[in-house]
Amino acid sequence: MSNKTATTLLPEERKKGFREIHRCYEPHQAYLEASRCLMCEDAPCTKGCPAGVDIKAFIRKIRFHNLRGAIREIREANVLAGICGKVCPQELLCQKECSNTEIDIPINIAALQRYVADVELRRSVSPSARQFAQRIKVAIIGSGPAGLAVAANLAQKGYEVTIFEAEAKPGGLLTYGIPPHRLPSSAVQKEIRYIKRIGVKIRCKTKIMNIDELFKKDFKAIFIGVGLPGARKIGLPGENLKGVYTALEFLKDVITNKGRTKQTKIGKRVVVIGGGDVAMDAASCALRLGAQRVDLVCLEGYDEMPSSPEERRICWEEGVEINTRVMPLKIIGSKGRVTGYKGIGIRWRKPGLFIPSNAIPIPGTEFSLKVDTVIEAIGQIPDTGNVKGFKGIETAGPGYIVAKKKTFKTSRPGVFAAGDIVNRGATAVQAVADGNAAAEAIDAYLKRKR
Amino acid sequence: MKTIPVNLGIEFCGVKFNNPFILSAAPPTDDLDMLKRGLEMGWAGAVLKTTSVEKNKVELVYPMISGLSFENKKVVGMGNIDLISEHHIDLVEKRIEVLKKEFGDERVIAASIMGAKKEDWQHLVKRLKAAGVDIIECSFSCPQGSMGEVPGAMLAQSIPATEMVTRWVKSAAKKTPVVIKITPMVADIVAVANAVKKGGADAICASNTIPSLMGIDIENFIPNPNVAGKTTYSGLSGPAIKPITLKVISELSKTVGLPITGTGGAVNWIDALEFMLCGATTVQFCTAVMHYGYDIIEDLCEGLAFYMEEKGISRVKDLIGKSLPYIVGHDDLSRKNRVTSHIDLKKCVRCGLCYYACQDGGHQAIELGRERRPEVDEEKCFGCGLCQSACPIDDCIELKESEKPRKIATV
Repeated sequence: MSNKTATTLLPEERKKGFREIHRCYEPHQAYLEASRCLMCEDAPCTKGCPAGVDIKAFIRKIRFHNLRGAIREIREANVLAGICGKVCPQELLCQKECSNTEIDIPINIAALQRYVADVELRRSVSPSARQFAQRIKVAIIGSGPAGLAVAANLAQKGYEVTIFEAEAKPGGLLTYGIPPHRLPSSAVQKEIRYIKRIGVKIRCKTKIMNIDELFKKDFKAIFIGVGLPGARKIGLPGENLKGVYTALEFLKDVITNKGRTKQTKIGKRVVVIGGGDVAMDAASCALRLGAQRVDLVCLEGYDEMPSSPEERRICWEEGVEINTRVMPLKIIGSKGRVTGYKGIGIRWRKPGLFIPSNAIPIPGTEFSLKVDTVIEAIGQIPDTGNVKGFKGIETAGPGYIVAKKKTFKTSRPGVFAAGDIVNRGATAVQAVADGNAAAEAIDAYLKRKR
Repeated sequence: MKTIPVNLGIEFCGVKFNNPFILSAAPPTDDLDMLKRGLEMGWAGAVLKTTSVEKNKVELVYPMISGLSFENKKVVGMGNIDLISEHHIDLVEKRIEVLKKEFGDERVIAASIMGAKKEDWQHLVKRLKAAGVDIIECSFSCPQGSMGEVPGAMLAQSIPATEMVTRWVKSAAKKTPVVIKITPMVADIVAVANAVKKGGADAICASNTIPSLMGIDIENFIPNPNVAGKTTYSGLSGPAIKPITLKVISELSKTVGLPITGTGGAVNWIDALEFMLCGATTVQFCTAVMHYGYDIIEDLCEGLAFYMEEKGISRVKDLIGKSLPYIVGHDDLSRKNRVTSHIDLKKCVRCGLCYYACQDGGHQAIELGRERRPEVDEEKCFGCGLCQSACPIDDCIELKESEKPRKIATV
């Protein structure tokens, strides 16, 4: 008998396509899970949420049959409640210190959050009314989680907020970087529609190159949340062969073609280089596109990988071969196409420092794999040309924006920045948290100006 | 979704409450700082824990609380062998003054009293009035015994005594509303409530905890709570007694006609709403607060407000007693109602609990067919509803009207 209401699909079912891995709780499951919560006085879950969602309160509200109160409670701190419920690495955040772990298994907080958000979005409850119209225009560059959080917060405060997005659809990496089996695009678009209902305007296919023009158009403050749209490359021999992709371009292709990828023909054997969440996503997508063997090769050991433990477990369950503490040497090709991958085992020079310069190859451990596709997932970088073109904005390295902690002020008055472009790559919930704080700072700045 | 503005305010005995949720006379209302904290969090009012005259000695025993667990659930019921407050009227009157000064008309400050003689009752009333109390509640029903004539008996178990003492209190209270808290542990609660009405009280508080034995430690044979090797009967409160409270409230609402403040087993807003649908104007909480903290007031208010919004009901008043027309005597129920069980096989998980229940507690109308599939024989099914109660799945078993006649056993 198949389990009709399991919260996670079985690996065999998952691999058949791009169905969402996690299913929404049935009401009785949500109630049961909520009633396991100890409702600890000094709730450690709440402290573990970067966005400051009062987790204890929202779970209590489920338990006390106040679902609308529960979603209100979450959305007040995190406007992307449903999305974060699906992509948050809860094992590393809110769930980490759950008191229930001492007597049983921790509360599945993310599943409860997904549940209340789902219930709300299904009923299409209107957002609470805007406080008052301020008739002050604020521009947001980039519609990723940071930009969306800033926009929603400022719109609630009554500002006229316009988001400018370079891509065809809003959402940034939520839309183009996370595959449908982890985050269906419908879930992202639903929550973005919710933000639009608060009053936020979104203009897609509009790449902002010059912030002075925005100021000229009477925007009184600007928020930059352009994220890291560029893919980092290792610089391996053979990197330019046909069949070598960056994870970002691969995932974007998978997502925009709804899993029926046209441009990307991945063949039967795929190697993914990297140990983060993006690498896991690329590997699980490769399996879903019909690859018979997917090897993930990463510098870190299994417990050293930056990916969330859950994502790692999901890949492992689905049969991704995870090769740890391995350094790539070269990509082998023939007639301009990839045919193989060569790597070598490593050990660390200094313990606890998991970066390439700390890795020492172990002689005699060279190995090679026959592959049809290589996907590089070793991190993202800024769109250097775009960011460095913003006048008066101090940057660091290849174009990370320098912004003050807590206030997210850049070097130019009236311009704020947060999210990956400042923190150099973190979780969606961190971007929301920073976006919330940046919105407060922008509000304070505009109030002072008046 | 359309929403309407909702007001949770309600009037009880001429006193205005911001919402229908009150802290009952119990440990959460026996300390000034606790009271302030609870009232600040949004409780509409508090009944200060039952107090007495200074010469009345109150000696509490410890431990006094025992929880009733059922399977994995803690505090399905809570037993206490607490007594009235150790704090006498001198302290309570000061607390009332402080709270009235701090909260004004924003919160309702009531106080519960208990006395032995007429002079004591009336003395307590006068001092509460002088302190500015909004409502006077009289405990006629502490399960650990009143201070009346018969030791160990509750005042509200005697109909004449109930009427007499109510009259004493009301004659001293004059315009200040008097509420009498009664016990469900009587043969005829309507008669008791009518005595309360005859005595001149303004309202009834229904109802107090229920005398119980909370359980036994089977290792040493000593029941809970173990007070130096002995125990006594506890007063049972909490979710376990909610159905009793609902019965009492609805029965009194239908017959006596005094306003009711309901208490006994409400945890969430749905419980409280049920109290109100049975006729309670306000709802008092103790066990839920002792278990989960004052915080729950937020969910009570928000939950009820959202419900009213969605139902299109703007005033709490319009909810009170709404279920009463649907409660009748057994004789007045239709004898022609013919329903049978229908099992939704798409929802069914083949656990066979309905089969067990029907075989051993029903009419052998359910058989297990192919692949453990439960099948109902409509002619054998009486529509008793047992299978529906036992089924672990929501909405899997439905009782539907049936044309088929019942087959009655011949042996």
